[in-house]
Amino acid sequence: MVTTKKQKYLFLAFCLVPTFLLFAVFTLYPMISGLYFSFFSWSGAAANREFVGIDNYIRLFNDGIIPRTILHDYFLVVTKVLGIMVLAMYFAVAIMQLKLKEAPFYRIIFFFPNIMSVVVIGILWTFIYNPNLGLVNSALEAVGLENLTRPWLGSETWALPSLVLPSIWAGIGLFMLMLMGGIATISKSYYEAAELDGATEWQQFWKVTVPLLWPQIKVSILYIVITTLNGSFIIVQIMTGGGPNNSTHVMGSYLYQQAFEQYNFGYGATIGVMILVISLVTVLVLARLLKREKVQY
Amino acid sequence: MKKSMKRSLTAACSTGLVIGLLAACGGEEDNNGNGAEAEENNNNGNSAAENGEGGDGDISGELEIQYFVGGYGDSWWKEVIADFQEEYPDVEIIEHAGPNVNDEMRSRWVSDDPPDVVYIDGAGSSETQMVEDGQLMDLTDWLEDVETADGNMLSDSFIVDPATYDGQIYSLPLVFDTWGTWYNAAKFEEEGYDVPEDFPSYMDTMGEIQSNEDIEPFVTTGQHPYYFLRGVLTPAFGAAGGDELLADIVTGEEGVWERDEVVAQMEKVADMQEAGYIDDGFGALNHTQSQMNFLLGDNAFIPVGFWLPNEMAGDVPDDFEFGFIPSPMQDEGEPYAIVPDLRPLAVAENADNPDAAKAFVEFVFTEEYATLFSEHTGAIMNLEGVDLSENEEVPDYLIEANAMINDEEQVQIYHRPHPMSADLETPIGDALTALMLGNSSVEEFIEAAEAATADYRGE
Repeated sequence: MVTTKKQKYLFLAFCLVPTFLLFAVFTLYPMISGLYFSFFSWSGAAANREFVGIDNYIRLFNDGIIPRTILHDYFLVVTKVLGIMVLAMYFAVAIMQLKLKEAPFYRIIFFFPNIMSVVVIGILWTFIYNPNLGLVNSALEAVGLENLTRPWLGSETWALPSLVLPSIWAGIGLFMLMLMGGIATISKSYYEAAELDGATEWQQFWKVTVPLLWPQIKVSILYIVITTLNGSFIIVQIMTGGGPNNSTHVMGSYLYQQAFEQYNFGYGATIGVMILVISLVTVLVLARLLKREKVQY
Repeated sequence: MKKSMKRSLTAACSTGLVIGLLAACGGEEDNNGNGAEAEENNNNGNSAAENGEGGDGDISGELEIQYFVGGYGDSWWKEVIADFQEEYPDVEIIEHAGPNVNDEMRSRWVSDDPPDVVYIDGAGSSETQMVEDGQLMDLTDWLEDVETADGNMLSDSFIVDPATYDGQIYSLPLVFDTWGTWYNAAKFEEEGYDVPEDFPSYMDTMGEIQSNEDIEPFVTTGQHPYYFLRGVLTPAFGAAGGDELLADIVTGEEGVWERDEVVAQMEKVADMQEAGYIDDGFGALNHTQSQMNFLLGDNAFIPVGFWLPNEMAGDVPDDFEFGFIPSPMQDEGEPYAIVPDLRPLAVAENADNPDAAKAFVEFVFTEEYATLFSEHTGAIMNLEGVDLSENEEVPDYLIEANAMINDEEQVQIYHRPHPMSADLETPIGDALTALMLGNSSVEEFIEAAEAATADYRGE
């Protein structure tokens, strides 16, 4: 079939224009208006606003809570990447390689938290951590470890680490499925060849599975990093509200507090710009660090 | 029938609550006639005056009312709005209500298309912000001429005067609430615990409860430290330094947190913490969780406003009986202190139907609706001359609290010029949480509070 150039361009436009329009309305416009509002002093609750130049950015650099929020975000990024990747990889390999009869059952069980709203997960874990009625302290008491019980979310020291567990629990399923998909594409012949060469299962994992699974691992890590930097707000807001004494505030929850609870919408927008820049830089650095030559056997 | 009964009940003499707060209402002209007539006449006058021309000033058209529904529920609003509708059949009332209404209506306010009347309460609303942003109508001149349906000048009928911003009035305080400390009166009677009368007796009772019940007697919400700030510290500062200290605290006066009387109050908080009287899990609790723990007997005292019984109505155990005292932070021998916390009603600057909005505001401030408010919500409306003492519909704790508040020898009432700004309250609340968790000393708290006031002043 012969298509003219015009038809080809029309077809391309038909495919691209609606997508671009949606992208422009729902991504570009909010991003640009966020940048625009960061130069204003605005309560966010009224029509009038005042242009203040870079005042909000000066305030950002002088705000003692900001470095803490960045640190908290990276704490969650590192612990989540490690926790989720190690566990998701372990379960994926176990389910795929051990050829368990109950594999579909485990797949559903591990994926289950992914279909739950993060809000529900947050509330659920708030009860689990409840100092008086919660599962955690009850379990510790039941096994005679009363001295380890504590108000997990009410402690300035323990509140942030306590948020890691639900975040990992909620994240494993999706990445386990991604890794399982990757493992399924690895030809069995590689493992057979490795076995003939005398490689142990551990060596097979490091020398065959990991290199061939690297594209999926890389995407998973990047995805966890981006969603944590942009989305850890929800679990923080539900479980601790950023407290006690700012010990769990992440950039997103602090943005929310400033913009919607303290009526500093312009400053909130400035924090939003900071999150955008930090996320971009992190992802670029990470993409470079995770770059590897494509492996082919 | 029910209405006429309420009317007869409300005809009683004024409560002493007003003593010392406002000049008594003057002997206005007798107005025993139909309240609606009086209102309509007033409105005619107002609208003609505003327009600078004659006119019938009929109240009609759409009237949008935004009201937050929290601990007080919405049954009072429903009844008042239904009565208003009956009185003004030509008005089409559109209600915007609910626990999230402040957020839901935000886009309307931002786009300069606000509702006509707004009740400012709950998360996401701030009277100070609305005044600063010019969103509320200046009601100063209008208020001078308004008579209530009871025949009194409205401006003379408030228990607590409206807040003023540079001398102008932008909102009328509707709900007279006050924070205090709640306890389980039934349990106290059963166990023979003394109801605290001052800080030393408070510590004694908490100590007794701690050893008898093996619980940490005091709880509050750590997710919203302002509950402690407003419910415990504000009256403590009132008792220690009066209105002047409260004004300096609210406006972030330099060095205010270093004053001896303030440091003494903070030492009391540290004493409570060091004695192990503050629930060590409070840091993570939201207000509902802390209130639930209190109702379940995990704690014995909680600082909340009058709305607590109504808010938790569905969760109160059978053997529980609410007891209320002003937070007993004052020194031995001193009267309790309370600081009213007012929730105002206002008209939007850009209201589409200001006449109907003003008519509604005027309609609400009557003894009838004030009594009804206490019956529906268990709280007090900011209107003097309402006798609750014989009203069987009003909860016992409110009658007792009201009687106590009215007794000058028992309770002193202090005022702050306006609520504390969130920009000041938030960092002080954070530092307070650290102090109450035992993670910082009084000196560190004071340093943090002074830094917050310096930030607030823009230094």
